[in-house]
Amino acid sequence: MDSEVIRMSAIKPMPPVTIEKPKAKVWNGARAIAEAVKIADVDVIAAYPIRPYTGIMNAIATMLANGEFTADIIVADSEHSQFEIVKHASAVGARTFVGSSGVGLAFAAEAVIVTALSQVPVVSAIGTRALDDPGNFGMEWSDALMFRDFGWLISWAKTVQEAHDMTVVAYRVAEDRRVLLPHFIALDGAAITHVATPIIPTTKEQATNFLPPYRPPYKIDPAEGPITKAQHIAPSLIGPEQRKAIDVAMKRAKEVIVEAWKDFAKYTGREYPPFIETTGMEDADFALVGMGAYMKDIELVAERFRKRGLKVGTVRLRYVRPFPAEDLLKVLDGVKAAGVIEFGYSFGSPYGTGSLYHEVATTLYEANSKPELLDFLFLGGREPTVEHFTRVAEMVTDSVHKKPQKKAYWLTLRGEDI
Amino acid sequence: MSTQIAFRSVKEIPPIDYYTSGRRTCAGCGPAIGYRLISKAAGPNTIFIGPTGCMYVANAHQFLTSPYAVPWHHTQLGGGGGAAIGVASALRTLMLKGKRKVEDVNVIVMGGDGAMADIGLSGLSMGLSYDYQRVLYVIYDNEAYMNTGVQASSTTPWGATTTFTPAGKVKPLGNTRYKKNMALVAAAHPKVKYVATATLWPPLDLMNKVHKALNSGGPSLIHVLLPCPKGWFTSPADTVNLSKLAIETGMWVLWEQSEGHFKLNYRPKPRKHVREYVSLQGRFSHLKDEDIEKLDKMIEEEWAFWEESAKVGRLIVPY
Repeated sequence: MDSEVIRMSAIKPMPPVTIEKPKAKVWNGARAIAEAVKIADVDVIAAYPIRPYTGIMNAIATMLANGEFTADIIVADSEHSQFEIVKHASAVGARTFVGSSGVGLAFAAEAVIVTALSQVPVVSAIGTRALDDPGNFGMEWSDALMFRDFGWLISWAKTVQEAHDMTVVAYRVAEDRRVLLPHFIALDGAAITHVATPIIPTTKEQATNFLPPYRPPYKIDPAEGPITKAQHIAPSLIGPEQRKAIDVAMKRAKEVIVEAWKDFAKYTGREYPPFIETTGMEDADFALVGMGAYMKDIELVAERFRKRGLKVGTVRLRYVRPFPAEDLLKVLDGVKAAGVIEFGYSFGSPYGTGSLYHEVATTLYEANSKPELLDFLFLGGREPTVEHFTRVAEMVTDSVHKKPQKKAYWLTLRGEDI
Repeated sequence: MSTQIAFRSVKEIPPIDYYTSGRRTCAGCGPAIGYRLISKAAGPNTIFIGPTGCMYVANAHQFLTSPYAVPWHHTQLGGGGGAAIGVASALRTLMLKGKRKVEDVNVIVMGGDGAMADIGLSGLSMGLSYDYQRVLYVIYDNEAYMNTGVQASSTTPWGATTTFTPAGKVKPLGNTRYKKNMALVAAAHPKVKYVATATLWPPLDLMNKVHKALNSGGPSLIHVLLPCPKGWFTSPADTVNLSKLAIETGMWVLWEQSEGHFKLNYRPKPRKHVREYVSLQGRFSHLKDEDIEKLDKMIEEEWAFWEESAKVGRLIVPY
């Protein structure tokens, strides 16, 4: 017995088994993007201030001032110069980062457009913001959606975590030889850029494994020979063919995006559906369709309606360009009614509906059973609440009983919605 | 910086051209001759940035040809300032991070007067405030938007007609604004390494200034007056002659500012009357005798300041 006791006491207690959990950080969207730029080994960054995106550049500048990574940050004289700087740096072979908001993007428009049409894989953040006049810090999507038509890839983040992850993935997709197009990452102004949440950062090692070095097919560099780029052409020579090349690149981006997110999950353990995130759509009669940070509130509303016995689901688009029409059609075909919730508008548009509505409606033209489709516009930056989204869900679910009189509703508007 | 004169005689000019055939510039095109000389002086390790302008459109177009034997990239009309900084930043950062071989690469923006003095002035000013080496902004100044059909820019001289400033019954003078002095604007940037003016005469002056600018250790600017037969309504045979007359009449002043030190490169002695310069040009044909006299008097007054600047070795603003 004694020997037994002695033997037992000789056994050292086992240390408690700990599964190493990745350390979470509490970062706002601006910081999360800046940290992604750091681990993505970006070379050239061009900055110019405009709210709400500015915080990203503030964070990057602080990191560079403290030697956290090696890159060149250029304080530009305007947004136009900002985008010209990164376009040309990228053409020389540098990985680049840039960003803007609201009228800043409008000022840069010319340089933004040529970046896509000359197929340079710049990555840019947009802190979405209402356009002037009057000056307005509120959130709208019209700044980002202005660039829907020129060959930029556009993704939309729901959370700070997703914004962080989308940045690294954006470089991989944009720089892929099958794509070579610039990439916008849209962050809902304030709701993502200025809200701090706990996130799991991607490590430098994960980013390096996931993201190969930027190797453009040719560089504007004497070491590569005398390449002339973007020379003036006679329209009849290669006009349509050059446009088709961009069209094909955008179409190919779809498969590259799917591959990239699959691979991203392999390296980081964080899984995302590539194009469309849904909740409760398996058996839904009603769908709430949207993008960005407010989807969290919309998902909550849908869940509450389900508890009341109404089969409401949500559909979140993660990419606007390329637009995932096939995936969207699959989930919306057959629902009784759907509501598009959006912050971007086109004055004088068909039925007075918003920019996202047009995309969804075009998609649904191919549906076997077309749902009743309503549009809910939150314009001018006045923030919607859960109550507004509850009203949206009520109107969508009611629409099957009583045919709505019109397509579009401004629920945050004070006064008559004529 | 290098104080050496790179090209002492015509025999020392390298035979190789980096701006060659495959373009459709006009007969007697001043900017084309300028492009050729500038690219010769810069040599093979050079990237050219071409903001929109006649040296964009006329250097290609019909058959997908390119006259450049060195890398060349288009930038938007107002993009020259930023584009050069983007290229220089990329090269420096890639070299610093070991992603590219370390060597000297010239970045030259060939911007017209519209691209540099008007729409791209803000970006140019930003570029001049940085410390990237071997960045040279060349303003090839033919004194109007020639490519779009001769519209006035802010470097169009007083009294010249353009399609936006035609001489008419009520407005007989044509352009009433005074020519913007872009070299002075550039020289006003603190610690700017090298600023100069040039034209096609004397023959080696432009090439030597390009060499000095590229070796100055920072961003630099050369404002080059280049006659345009199309927009000046001159004979193609007169292009170089007009460059010569521009400096001999004092209408164009050759000077350089190196590390803050001013030097007058040419003194017309005796200065020829400006009539000899303007009488060859259709764009001045509407001017009355008293207008030409007024122009000559303006030149006379301005020259007192250039002489004063030469005496003290520092720039004095003559306006």
